[in-house]
Amino acid sequence: MWDSDSTAFRWPWLALGLAALVLVLLVLWLRPWRRPSRAGAAYVAHAARLRALPRYRTLVRRQVVLGTCLTVAALVACSGAVVLAGRLQQRQTMTQEDRTRDIVLCLDASGSMAEVDAHVLREFRTIISGLRGERVGLTIWSGAAISVFPLTDDYEYVIEQLSAAEKAFASGDVYSDDYAIFTAGTVLDWDVQSQMGDGLASCVQRFDHRDEERSRAIVLASDNEPIGTGIFSVPEAADYAREEKVVVHGIAAPKTAERPAAVQEFEAAVGATGGTFSLLGEDGSTRAVIDAIADLDAKPIKRPPLVQVLDRPRLGTWLLGVGLVGMALLWAAQGVLVVRDRRQESL
Amino acid sequence: MTAHLTRIKSRLSIHAHRKVRGLLEGEYAAIHAGRGIDFNDLREYVRGDDVKDIDWKASARSRQLLVKRYVAERKHTVLLCVSTGRSMAALAGLGADSAAPTSKRELAVFVAGVTGYLAVQHGDVVGLVHGDADRQHVSRPGSGELHLERLLGTVHEAITPEGPPGDLTALLRHVVRTVRRRTILLVVTDEPAVTEEQAMLLRRLTAQHEVLILTLGDLDPTTPVMAGRRLLDVDAGVEVPPWLRRDARLHRELATLVADEAQHMRRRLDQLGIVQEQVRDLDGAVIAIFRLLERHRHARRR
Repeated sequence: MWDSDSTAFRWPWLALGLAALVLVLLVLWLRPWRRPSRAGAAYVAHAARLRALPRYRTLVRRQVVLGTCLTVAALVACSGAVVLAGRLQQRQTMTQEDRTRDIVLCLDASGSMAEVDAHVLREFRTIISGLRGERVGLTIWSGAAISVFPLTDDYEYVIEQLSAAEKAFASGDVYSDDYAIFTAGTVLDWDVQSQMGDGLASCVQRFDHRDEERSRAIVLASDNEPIGTGIFSVPEAADYAREEKVVVHGIAAPKTAERPAAVQEFEAAVGATGGTFSLLGEDGSTRAVIDAIADLDAKPIKRPPLVQVLDRPRLGTWLLGVGLVGMALLWAAQGVLVVRDRRQESL
Repeated sequence: MTAHLTRIKSRLSIHAHRKVRGLLEGEYAAIHAGRGIDFNDLREYVRGDDVKDIDWKASARSRQLLVKRYVAERKHTVLLCVSTGRSMAALAGLGADSAAPTSKRELAVFVAGVTGYLAVQHGDVVGLVHGDADRQHVSRPGSGELHLERLLGTVHEAITPEGPPGDLTALLRHVVRTVRRRTILLVVTDEPAVTEEQAMLLRRLTAQHEVLILTLGDLDPTTPVMAGRRLLDVDAGVEVPPWLRRDARLHRELATLVADEAQHMRRRLDQLGIVQEQVRDLDGAVIAIFRLLERHRHARRR
């Protein structure tokens, strides 16, 4: 998803400065070159006897271990603080390149087409996963056209909607509630139904960004069996589509083959826009349409790369926390040792 | 100029009501081997005077014990032998009831001063041998308070924290080599133990001198009295860290070790027939000198 990914400090100079400060303070604190100052100190002699005692060695060993651990813990905490101060950030960039293909599924919602629609929807659902940047819309029509969803590249939503549509059509029962609810509004007048010309023209109007150079395609599934007369005839609608530079791919229902005139009209209209035509049942699939869509010229448009900068305080917080907890534990251990010594003394 | 001796005298006068001074003089007088035959005067008996000296007739007359004083036959030499290494600049151990420890330097000057003062009062001559690992020096014996004061000043100046380390062996060898006359040799040192070489030298010295040893005890670094102060090890020049000094078990172990060493040293010196006392603070110093003189007198009588 993200093309490049880099982690760096927001303020590297601050981190460097603080690290140097920690080092300087460490050296100043240890001062390996300096002998202890004699001011204000009292002298003792023959302290070498002290060093010969077994208890002295025990205490020194303990102090060395505790001191080393405390120093390490403090340094870890310091490094955590330095990392936090330097503000570690992750910089992610994504070069965006949208492919500009708009596809409107234009389905005849008349009762006779239910099975074919379900088939087309199923096929289409499988190719959604292969899409990137394309926008898909779904329009169903009979006497009138309604948009189930407009052109969008929210594929999750698209798949959800396609599944719902497929479910409604797949029942095959024209009188089921699912079907009735889904296709509600497509029939305004029972005398005017399955108007392919009107449907195609409506689908052409679903494209937006008319001023942009985009590849536009319609997948038109119909049986071209109109009842009554509509506003657009099929050739008129095809002309309109050609004017708008919309390629129409036609899928005819198997039953259309019984009416050669209808098939011819359909094929001619589709051919006029430069699309493919397939009669479902001939080869049993909508493969040709899918391939045709894949072949559609995708015009990439450049968009400025998307850059996102995220703070990554986790490492610093962890280091600081581990260091502080370590210091607290060591202090507690020191206290416990002192208390234990006192108790042993008092016994 | 007379700063050291004045301080010593005033400190002795604090003890005057306990007759410490008189007692000390008595003890000091008693350690002399020879006694003159010329009768000088009578004075009140003080503890430590030889019973043989009591003038019974005069005592019966005056109803108090009087002893005869004689003019000493010849002048004795008291030789102060002070180890002046840098360890003497450290603090001395705490006395029984003293809150703050004194420097071993002050203590060394004090014990040398008290003994020297007694000798001066008695008309004896006082000399000084002092030295460290680098060099040893003998001052010619002389009499008088001014001379003693000068000797004490020498000791005081010779002891510095930056000086060379102490070396009792070298000092004793120097005494063996350079001192010809018979003296009362008071060795003031802070060595916690006697090495075999030192023992040999001491045995050699006892043949010629009357050897008395005063050892100065060291401050226990783990004592709670010094809890708030920084302590530097004068020998190594490093600090004794505070976390070390708080430990009660270490304190106990060190106390045991020091007591063992002191006992061992005392036993070793007893074998050599040398009396030795340990001095911790200024108050205890007078008592320690008194005990030293008394023990020496008894030791000689046997």
